[in-house]
Amino acid sequence: MSDATTHADTPVSTMDFHPQPRGGAPKPWAFPAPDRGQLPNGLTLLTSHRPGQQVVAVEINLVAPLDAEPEGLDGVATIMARALSEGTDKHDAEEFAAELERCGATLDAHADHPGVRVSLEVPASRLHRALGLLADALRAPAFPESEVERLVRNRLDEIPHELANPARRAAMALSKELFPATARMSRPRQGTEETVARIDAAAVRGFYDTHVRPATATAVIVGDFTGVDLEAALADTLGAWSGSTAEPLKASPITADDTGRVVIVDRPGAVQTQLLIGRVGADRHDRVWPAQVLGTYCLGGTLTSRLDRVLREEKGYTYGVRAFGQVLRSTAPGSPEGATGAALLAISGSVDTASTGPALDDLWKVLRTLAAEGLTDDERDVAVQNLVGVAPLKYETAAAVAGTLADQVEQQLPDDFQAQLYARLAETGTVEATAAAVSAFPVDRLVTVLVGDAAQIAEPVKELGIGEVTVVGG
Amino acid sequence: MPMGHTATEQAGSGGLTATEHRLANGLRVVLSEDHLTPVAAVCLWYDVGSRHEVKGRTGLAHLFEHLMFQGSAQVSGNGHFELVQGAGGSLNGTTSFERTNYFETMPAHELELALWLEADRMGSLLTALDDECLENQRDVVKNERRQRYDNVPYGTAFEKLTAMAYPEGHPYHHTPIGSMADLDAASLEDARAFFRTYYAPNNAVLSVVGDIDPEQTLAWVEKYFGSIPSHDGKQPPRDGTLPDVIGGQLREVVEEDVPSRALMAAYRLPHDGTREADAADLALTVLGGGESSRLYNRLVRRDRSAVAAGFGLLRLAGAPSLGWLDVKTSGGVEVPGIERAVDEELARFAAEGPTPEEMERAQAQLEREWLDRLATVSGRADELCRFAVLFGDPQLALSAVRRVLDITPEEVQAVAKARLRPDNRAVLVYEPTESNDAADTEEGQADQ
Repeated sequence: MSDATTHADTPVSTMDFHPQPRGGAPKPWAFPAPDRGQLPNGLTLLTSHRPGQQVVAVEINLVAPLDAEPEGLDGVATIMARALSEGTDKHDAEEFAAELERCGATLDAHADHPGVRVSLEVPASRLHRALGLLADALRAPAFPESEVERLVRNRLDEIPHELANPARRAAMALSKELFPATARMSRPRQGTEETVARIDAAAVRGFYDTHVRPATATAVIVGDFTGVDLEAALADTLGAWSGSTAEPLKASPITADDTGRVVIVDRPGAVQTQLLIGRVGADRHDRVWPAQVLGTYCLGGTLTSRLDRVLREEKGYTYGVRAFGQVLRSTAPGSPEGATGAALLAISGSVDTASTGPALDDLWKVLRTLAAEGLTDDERDVAVQNLVGVAPLKYETAAAVAGTLADQVEQQLPDDFQAQLYARLAETGTVEATAAAVSAFPVDRLVTVLVGDAAQIAEPVKELGIGEVTVVGG
Repeated sequence: MPMGHTATEQAGSGGLTATEHRLANGLRVVLSEDHLTPVAAVCLWYDVGSRHEVKGRTGLAHLFEHLMFQGSAQVSGNGHFELVQGAGGSLNGTTSFERTNYFETMPAHELELALWLEADRMGSLLTALDDECLENQRDVVKNERRQRYDNVPYGTAFEKLTAMAYPEGHPYHHTPIGSMADLDAASLEDARAFFRTYYAPNNAVLSVVGDIDPEQTLAWVEKYFGSIPSHDGKQPPRDGTLPDVIGGQLREVVEEDVPSRALMAAYRLPHDGTREADAADLALTVLGGGESSRLYNRLVRRDRSAVAAGFGLLRLAGAPSLGWLDVKTSGGVEVPGIERAVDEELARFAAEGPTPEEMERAQAQLEREWLDRLATVSGRADELCRFAVLFGDPQLALSAVRRVLDITPEEVQAVAKARLRPDNRAVLVYEPTESNDAADTEEGQADQ
């Protein structure tokens, strides 16, 4: 610590200094254990009463994974998800949007590798009405031809905007590099211009009929239920949704090529280079997960982690670089297909163009030093204190709790996974965290995507020896 | 009060209360108890923002905010971050036109640490401030500017709109991020002078919200902040007074490598803190907030001429607020047709006012947004500071949603008529410089 008296050339404040206070005794807090049940139509239900949370969050998981999209129709899951709210058997598209907003509600739907997620947020006093609209969207979507056609055109219009965004462009290029061309995971989640253009109302209806039904769906509902008769509110809404049972889908294993190499997506004149450096690794079912979370945090979880300590706070190359693990999709070891899941393990950020070579050089030095010397006990302790300590803050809102519960369902994890994770983090030692971080980010098994000005960055990057360098069009 | 359609009995305050205190050195303190979750939020608003900056030193308030995380008398270089995160807390700071805020959300038993840290830098930042951290954070902020504005399509649109809506020399003419040249020019002495001028207990409001013991909290605040000297060196911002309407249509056409044409516009709107500002918020919500709004229905659903269309409101207390229209065109659609459609919709709205159904929807949307903001202790702490600093009364935060629900359709129509006019806007048109073939290369990926 610095000391006021050592800075004789600056005016010394006249305030009274006190020693750093010690914290009091922590108050008990636990990640909420949801109540699990099932409606007569087979819909799985998870609920959690959170006093004070007046905005209720509802998450619906539909087992409609991207892998299930028909050949050549990438994006049909996305268009279907969006079309759910474009008219039902009771309201046309404009009326539906108006009715939702009359409840003060928001409704979002998106498709990702594990399936489609529909998220509703609404003040508790209008929950019943909003659940009715949500149930209409799931139970009886109209999928009018003209609305689907509009959504397709709208989606086609969005694609150039995504490609222009350096971070989105980097993510697409990394997926293309990592996964085999035949794997759905190698291609953009929301489809390409070619595949989206083929989607019509019949394709959307077909995907819905095949994959959307209450028997394979889960509803997570979290919020302050004081004065809400949840059972009654569910009975004539989500409870009125009917559908047949279905054969469970089988997930295929995820494979990836993490041979160390560099792909530059050329952006002549770009003032920064977007970095995305990644590979795939363990998901939440793997025993190493808590150690991987801890090690990844120490490497690049925050501004005081190893990467930003050098790249930001010492060198000023970046506004911030983060390391993270993001589950792509998961199946439980006990499922018919066994554990097939994986997480994307990655480092991302952007650096000014001129600093691209030096920044990557320093980044690799940080990784090599970590492998050679390991984490310190202090680093591990601070990381555990942060990851465990922030839980009550992180899960203050209903939406945060509902999101994690829905993730658990989607990844076939037990309902107490998050609660147990905190205990497991606290038990994870420095050696395990180091080992997990080093095997998550091995210096010679990382695929580096750089979105930036190839004419300026290609040569300095080649000199680093972090793998063969390829330049592709922007 | 006649509010048949509110979502909650207390309409947003959720039964919350706040108490106000003032230390002898002028520091205003706002406390609000909520024991539902064992967390406590600390929020400190300094009454200084980019509007206080002088010519040639744009971006200084924000650069200075970064320097506040570089250590103080008893806190080492990155110690502020390290100690808060090590205690299980989260933290940050932000700079806007009108204020700079710093905040920590802590597990309740670590509240005292956050107070100690904030007091240490309020009272002794200059003992740790040196050239090395200035040079480093200057580079970080320049990279922040590149990442958030310069390297993103349409990234500098907001900067261009404010520069038109607030004339040269006006304190809101430039945005908080500042210019690269001015960031380069900022010196250590500038930073020191900035601290000496604006960072004082009598120019700040501290709020503490959550699972707290008010008496104990106040005692800690007195212990750590009470001896920090106040001073009267503060320079008021330059006068932000402007006519209610621009008085003519301003226009700039930008030719850039962007993915589609865009029509953006900034309208001068009533000052924050007035009924007229709440009425404007409702008008913009009816016109361009969400997927049942008039502009969305017209441009995206019916005409199919836009990929996205909406209105946003930047509430400002020291100058006219800003209504921000943002329309990205679909395919090859050209801007003039969209502009005509927007003008038609705005004129029709000014002539007819909102329907009862539109009022109900807009009020329900704004009410939920308020409930969201007040759902966390940090959100509440920030709102209490906002109303204390900008309007002199933190209690106004707890009744804000009631005021929005109290606005009549006539008031919404009146503000639309007076302000959402072609002669009160700055228009920004984007024309792409080259045909966008990025989608093909994504498919092809052939050129090595």
